[in-house]
Amino acid sequence: MSRTETTQAPVDEAIDDEEFDPVGTLALIAVYFAILVLAWVYIYYIEFLGRDLVVVG
Amino acid sequence: MHIHAYEKLWLAAAIALILLLIGSVTYGAVGPGVAMVTDSENQIDAGGLDEDERFSEPRVEQVGENHYEAYVVAYQFAFDPSPIVVPEDSRVTLYVTSRDVVHGFEVVGTNANTMVVPGEVAQISFEVDEPGEYGVVCNEYCGAAHHTMEGKLHVVSQSEFENRGEDA
Repeated sequence: MSRTETTQAPVDEAIDDEEFDPVGTLALIAVYFAILVLAWVYIYYIEFLGRDLVVVG
Repeated sequence: MHIHAYEKLWLAAAIALILLLIGSVTYGAVGPGVAMVTDSENQIDAGGLDEDERFSEPRVEQVGENHYEAYVVAYQFAFDPSPIVVPEDSRVTLYVTSRDVVHGFEVVGTNANTMVVPGEVAQISFEVDEPGEYGVVCNEYCGAAHHTMEGKLHVVSQSEFENRGEDA
């Protein structure tokens, strides 16, 4: 097995995750999440439970 | 282990979403009482429905003060009885079976929907309120005239229900 030089390289000090704030990614995920929750609420509570003749037995 | 604050946030959100999904289905079962079609009914002889107590004469029967049972036979290419006539504001339990091939039984636009398998009895219960007419379709391909296979479910007023024999 050969060892590459990169494994020996020191960790890049520049990447400090406290300064790494992917606000755009967070916003995108928040939007996806909101769509998912709204879609579920619509599908289950309005389309499914809101229909006639809910099977109860 | 260090986890970034944003990552904690969406881990928590994902767990909350899972709880919402499981919680909704639990609510559906406990609150409105949503139930599944089960295999609780005994198997019957699909070729011998003529001698079956329930299915030799497909019909609607009153079994409780406000509870009606309908014994329905599906066959190529119709449902019997059709229309299924039940009174308003009652609980209806359908027992549906097939005498030939696999059919479907779907009250159009509603949640009353089950497969109809020869030799098996599908049991579904639901509440009906206002008088109205529903269509019933077969939603499992069952042969050349599958697309014409339909039935009717009529919800009528109490007085109309009591007088239904006179019109027939």
